[in-house]
Amino acid sequence: MIGQILLSGLATGCIYGLVALSFVLVYKATEAVSFMQGELLMVGAFAAVLLSAAAGWPAWVAVLASVLLLALAGALIERLALRRAMGQPHLTAVLLTFGLGLVLRGAVTTVPEATHRAHLLSLPGLGGQVAWGDMVASGAQLGVIAATLLSCAALAAFFRYTRVGLALRACSENPRIASMMGVSVPAMHTLAWALGAALAALAGSLMAPVTFVHPGMGVVALKAFPAAVIGGMHSLPGALAGGVFIGVLEALAGRYLPEGVNHVAAYALMLVALLCFPRGLFGGRAA
Amino acid sequence: MRPALALLALAAVALAVLGVDYGLSQLAFVATWAVAGLGLVIILGQSGQISLGHGAFLAVGAYVQAGWVALGAPPLLGLGLALAAGALLGGLASLPGRRLGGLAFGMSTLAVALIVEEALVRFDGLTGGASGLSVPPLVVAGWTASDPLAQCAVSAAVLALALLACRRLRDSRLGRAWRAVRDDEVAAAASGIDTGAVKLRAFAVGGALGALAGALYAHWLGYLSPEQFGLPLSFELLMLAFVGGASRLMGAVWGAVVIVALPQAIALVREALPAGVANLAGLELLGFGLVLVAVVLWRPAGLAR
Repeated sequence: MIGQILLSGLATGCIYGLVALSFVLVYKATEAVSFMQGELLMVGAFAAVLLSAAAGWPAWVAVLASVLLLALAGALIERLALRRAMGQPHLTAVLLTFGLGLVLRGAVTTVPEATHRAHLLSLPGLGGQVAWGDMVASGAQLGVIAATLLSCAALAAFFRYTRVGLALRACSENPRIASMMGVSVPAMHTLAWALGAALAALAGSLMAPVTFVHPGMGVVALKAFPAAVIGGMHSLPGALAGGVFIGVLEALAGRYLPEGVNHVAAYALMLVALLCFPRGLFGGRAA
Repeated sequence: MRPALALLALAAVALAVLGVDYGLSQLAFVATWAVAGLGLVIILGQSGQISLGHGAFLAVGAYVQAGWVALGAPPLLGLGLALAAGALLGGLASLPGRRLGGLAFGMSTLAVALIVEEALVRFDGLTGGASGLSVPPLVVAGWTASDPLAQCAVSAAVLALALLACRRLRDSRLGRAWRAVRDDEVAAAASGIDTGAVKLRAFAVGGALGALAGALYAHWLGYLSPEQFGLPLSFELLMLAFVGGASRLMGAVWGAVVIVALPQAIALVREALPAGVANLAGLELLGFGLVLVAVVLWRPAGLAR
């Protein structure tokens, strides 16, 4: 029983973690607090549904295409709008990203086809169940966990072994010195937004087989803030761990504590983390 | 004097275009939003802190007032109680500001607001939960403010009082301390300013004004439910302060005009479009988003300057 709860918490937590990862990636590189990751996630899920259902592409190809498409969209949005908010107070970026999120959500909501019926994306290979002792894991849950692990491994390899990854890390660490070493900081910002949007789209596509795809599905990204804060706002592994931690905590609170506690647990924890551990529970390095 | 004349002209235009009754009720909303926006202008523009959860203050004011009136107690006293409750919540919400600065503090206000919203849904014995709560019209000394003219008059009077009070605060020692903390917190502390206490007062004033606006809003609307006071409201208020310009008190009034006028304009646009092309909910999100993005990109200091 407890294993079952932990597993479902882990799967939800992976989604939170991916969104938190996309949030922290953008925040570290550009200092912009993004309130549009949820909308990017929603648009990514809709793009996958559109490509697989309307255009008839195989589901996994559609997911991959939607991730690439959103990476392109993220880069484009950075070039056209977000670049202008650089160097301004935090609130400017907060309002700008929130406004862009409203535009995205509004644009999807105005399309009658998007709201009139529920959409579900079924990913082949994740339909069944795996029984292990008295524990039953659904394919979708295992798929989410596996896809999260895979994408994190790919991301870690990118940051560790490629020159561009190194440049992005340098730029997050200290943009001025990075630019003196020949790194193009604006290009790195574009790249960070592209990666952030791609990760959000991936999270959306992974959510799509479990929950319905609808214009309001972006609210899940609100859980990315507590996850990022618990992870210390500056640590990518911390963000993922924070997401998983919150997912598991919510699952446990939903089972063992009075109703409603699971909804506020993440935010209460965020308050505690902000007050007692301003650098995150997992102790990221000092900035 | 000029802003007052411009506002009067604007009010006259609103009455002529929208009709007297509807126009007056919209003006009542403008004045009510302006009171709430004034609180945010104090927090944002004067003390330089970010409040991402201002909707929670309106929620507390609205529910305190609704509960008080439901007991059969005099509503005017309820407004005072709502004011006190808002100041209390504001003070509580500012406590993390003693340890945190800037963005992290803003995040803590977001957490407070999300917790308050969930609490309103859960304590349904008091708040009616998700199914909502109806509120009777405002009664002051036997006189019922049920028609739009009376609502407009009450809101305008409250707004005028709030503006006067904020002007006095702005020009006082506390106001100077707010601006010192806004411009450089370390320098302010070095000059002997208790920055924690200064932030607490900014949030207490902001929370009190937000709660006052929430209490009036409860009466004008006659119906409350927790989701009215969620994150969208908090950001609508932020947008109000930003569009109007948080550096000046009157910015709250201009921002409120924009926030109330925008849905009207969007409804007009929708009528011009062929039927069935787009639904209103989506167009409203789109319109608000586009205006917000446009203002942030082209007039980052607000419209009122």
